[in-house]
Amino acid sequence: MHMEQQLLIEDHIRKNKRDTVIICVLMLFLLFTFIFCIGVVIGAPPIISMMIGLPVAVIYILATYSMSVQSVISATKARPANPNNREEKMLIYKVEEMAIAAGLPTPKVYVQDSHDINAFASGHKPEDAIICATTGALQLLNKEELEGVMGHEMSHIRNRDILVMTITVGIVGAIALIAEIMLRSLWFGRGGRGKGNGILFLIAIIFIILAPIFSRLTYLAISRKREYLADADGAYLTRNPEGLARALEKIKNDLPDDPKGSKTVASLYIANPFKRALSDSIWSTHPPLDERIRRLRSM
Amino acid sequence: MDPIVIIGIIILVVALIILLWFLSYYNRVIRSENRIDNAWAQIDVQLKRRADLIPNLMETVRGYMKHERETLENVTKARAALMSAKAPQESINADNILTGALKTLFAVAENYPDLKANQNFLQLQDELTHTEDKIAYSRQHFNDSVLAFNNLIETFPGNIFANMMGKKERQMLQIPEASREVPKVSF
Repeated sequence: MHMEQQLLIEDHIRKNKRDTVIICVLMLFLLFTFIFCIGVVIGAPPIISMMIGLPVAVIYILATYSMSVQSVISATKARPANPNNREEKMLIYKVEEMAIAAGLPTPKVYVQDSHDINAFASGHKPEDAIICATTGALQLLNKEELEGVMGHEMSHIRNRDILVMTITVGIVGAIALIAEIMLRSLWFGRGGRGKGNGILFLIAIIFIILAPIFSRLTYLAISRKREYLADADGAYLTRNPEGLARALEKIKNDLPDDPKGSKTVASLYIANPFKRALSDSIWSTHPPLDERIRRLRSM
Repeated sequence: MDPIVIIGIIILVVALIILLWFLSYYNRVIRSENRIDNAWAQIDVQLKRRADLIPNLMETVRGYMKHERETLENVTKARAALMSAKAPQESINADNILTGALKTLFAVAENYPDLKANQNFLQLQDELTHTEDKIAYSRQHFNDSVLAFNNLIETFPGNIFANMMGKKERQMLQIPEASREVPKVSF
């Protein structure tokens, strides 16, 4: 069983990296098509829309990419962990251990002041990744549970989930914003009239209406799938699924009291800081905690 | 076009594909092997770090534990064995004995309230336990890397390339006693 297991892990990390590239390209394409449709609706010639659409999409993605880590840190008000505090030193220790187990460089360790039990990872690649845990997690989780949570976060880093999430969050946000502005101005009849091709105009309008919903659902599905994977991989790193299962149980019983930061970073956390969905829904960023605990216990 | 030219082009393309395939496998094997060496280097760093911490611990403990000469001697001996170990498996075994000796020492320390209140001692204890965990995880990573490498060079078609490159199966580190069990993971 060991042999097959290892083969599986290696293969699926490779597959995950490949998926990451595909998702990023698809998201880029979605944003590009979206901008192109906007061009059609406001009556710009297709060639012009295309010439504007592609660079705008690429520049937007590059900008999201380069600003993401710093903006996540400031959105969550995270601060670097203090090695002179015993609890925070323990967090640094656990992150170091998980980095060793995963064979990755040690990420920078941050702490967020909050009574919630939560944690997240961010960054583009393992070399510049960060891991952050709430002070609530440090106080309420024991060593084994903290180790389980850090294994989960380290797996997000190893699977390049942090990059996918950063880019999809950025694109979903951009599409939602532009679509809203577009539809509003069309509604009040201030948008231009599409010249000539009526069918193209209609398709473009439908796409503009559907794109925000579609992009959001794709992003949510990716997010949920990667949570399950990070649970499984994290358990493989610690060789102890029970640690993470008990941590999730504590999270479930500890209802959030002061969600911090904006909703855009909610999907980065190990558990949604805003509401604890107990049932499965296509609108949730995370799979239900009960199901995650069940899967961990059946390993 | 001449059929011979067409056949020639086909052969050339096929040869090119095989060459590229070989190159990608070559890189994968080399990368995988380097990861094993790197994983060993990691273990070695942690073992050294641990051995370096012991004299400090001894210095702190000596004043308090005057009647525990045997316990202290065991730790010193185990450290000396670790320092002189050469082969990887030998180091791992020596480290395991050191872990046992330290465990006894920390258990005995429970009887000395003054010692347990000593900040220096507490810090050393934390750090030694942490290094021990790090050693366990780097050992685990080493074995994971060896397994990945062995799988790569023993399964088809990797075994063909590995044979051409003269690569042989690598040995895993035997983890003495309480080893961690691999959980069954399904995706």
